Amino acid sequence: MRMPLQYRRMLSLVGMVLVMAAIFVADTLTEYAVAVAVFYSVVILAAVSLLTVRAAIALACACIALTVVSFYLTPAGLYKVGLVNSGISIVAISITTWLTLKTEAAQAAAHDAQARLLRIARVTSLGGLTASIAHEVNQPLAAIVTSGNACQRWLAQDPPNMEKALQALDRILSDAHRASEIIDRVRSLTKGEKPRKSAFDLPQAVREIVDMSRGEIERHGIALETHIDDALPPVMADRVQIQQVIGNMLLNAIEAVASGPAHRKDIRISTSMPDGASVLFCIEDAGCGLSAEALDHLFDAFWTTKEGGIGLGLSISRTIVEANGGKIGAEPNASGGATFRFSVPLVKGKSA
Amino acid sequence: MNRDMDRATPPIVYVIDDDHSVRAALDDLFASVGLQVRSFGSAREFLAHPPDDAPGCLVLDIRMPGQSGLDFHRQMGDLGIRLPTVFITGHGDIAMSVEAMKNGAIEFLTKPFRDQDLLDAIQHGIEKDRARRASEAVVSELQLRWASLSAGEQEVTRLVIQGLLNKQIAASLNLSEITVKVRRGQAMRKMQAASLIELVRLIEKAGV
Repeated sequence: MRMPLQYRRMLSLVGMVLVMAAIFVADTLTEYAVAVAVFYSVVILAAVSLLTVRAAIALACACIALTVVSFYLTPAGLYKVGLVNSGISIVAISITTWLTLKTEAAQAAAHDAQARLLRIARVTSLGGLTASIAHEVNQPLAAIVTSGNACQRWLAQDPPNMEKALQALDRILSDAHRASEIIDRVRSLTKGEKPRKSAFDLPQAVREIVDMSRGEIERHGIALETHIDDALPPVMADRVQIQQVIGNMLLNAIEAVASGPAHRKDIRISTSMPDGASVLFCIEDAGCGLSAEALDHLFDAFWTTKEGGIGLGLSISRTIVEANGGKIGAEPNASGGATFRFSVPLVKGKSA
Repeated sequence: MNRDMDRATPPIVYVIDDDHSVRAALDDLFASVGLQVRSFGSAREFLAHPPDDAPGCLVLDIRMPGQSGLDFHRQMGDLGIRLPTVFITGHGDIAMSVEAMKNGAIEFLTKPFRDQDLLDAIQHGIEKDRARRASEAVVSELQLRWASLSAGEQEVTRLVIQGLLNKQIAASLNLSEITVKVRRGQAMRKMQAASLIELVRLIEKAGV
């Protein structure tokens, strides 16, 4: 048997008020020397998780007010001791409130960050996603090829078995439709969710992804150079989506460098503000570089140079960047590798 | 001996693949070359229908929900299923194929495959299964022959193949030499051995 949440909450609040009243009565009736008001901090400790920040502060103020009122109403004792004790109680109440609120906020932030990481992990692990898409598309293709072979064999018989051949053709058609439905599904996947835009600090978002990828970078013995300008004004975009793009570009760079020449394992990341309207993220690698053909098709869906890749990462990245009002691009760089960049618009009115 | 009879027994191809399109296509491909097929959506479904007493070959998909084809193949020996296996997979890597071949697979084909490659592999598998069945049939036939010997005949035969002379056998079993000769003759006849050397060979093969 569990009470509904709102009843339990109400009951706790009633209990809290009763305890506060009891403290008030005790504080007023006892001498100045007995600092019962310190126990208000217990009420605050118990109540903070039930209240909003504003309500918690109001509660703390109420406790302080009650302490002051009891101080004036207390009939007996040394006035000076009472003053000091009330002061101590007020400080205890304030500090307790501040510390509990801070802990609560830290917990909430940790929770948010975890949820965000989960969302990022889902899309940055494009490897797993692409493998399953490849499998999905390959099944009907395999069936089509095999049915085609069977159809040929039915027709090659003497006399040709038309009925069986036609059945095989029917299967080929329906499997072809199935394959194209899967591709449609993938396409709608790459269109992705509508960006949930908010103002955020791009350099900070970049740092988080870099920290997440530290292990991978070290495992490949890559030297990572970062030129992240922290003084940049905030941008307006979907923070998680932009981090997905950064994560994808960083993973690509790591893979490119890992398969490139061993003596040049460098990746360079920078953020800058080339114009007054957007912030630019740039990642340069000393990896295997880009062919002319790759440059033409880089952002096309299902175009890939990676063995086992399916060619969706950059295509999804482009969709995301453009949906967030930015631009994406790539070019070969002086060290023989590739440079990828994208821009994100600044918060309107914040442009320098 | 039923070796020639087995040659006439129509072989059966078993297919385990979770994708119904692939199953339907394979069924039809095998039918178009006159092979009998039984197809199943999972290893569990396959196990619910014990294979026929006929030469066969198994076409096994690697990537399936639940138990993977590789895992199932490893288990088959323990389950007493000795069907030669051809693996098919949508997304195979070298490590996977090495493991499959190490476990005794006939072939490892990546989808989509050439139909002739698959049919050749299956033909090879069926031949292998026929050979296994034939040699198993020979062994069980020899065991039957051995079982038809009386206890006394078996006793004498064991000493004969150790190279003992009739006289020595008679002495060690406390029998007359005539009795040993008679039992020895019966054993040769029942085992259908034309010579002492053949008798030794047949008994070795029967593993008794």
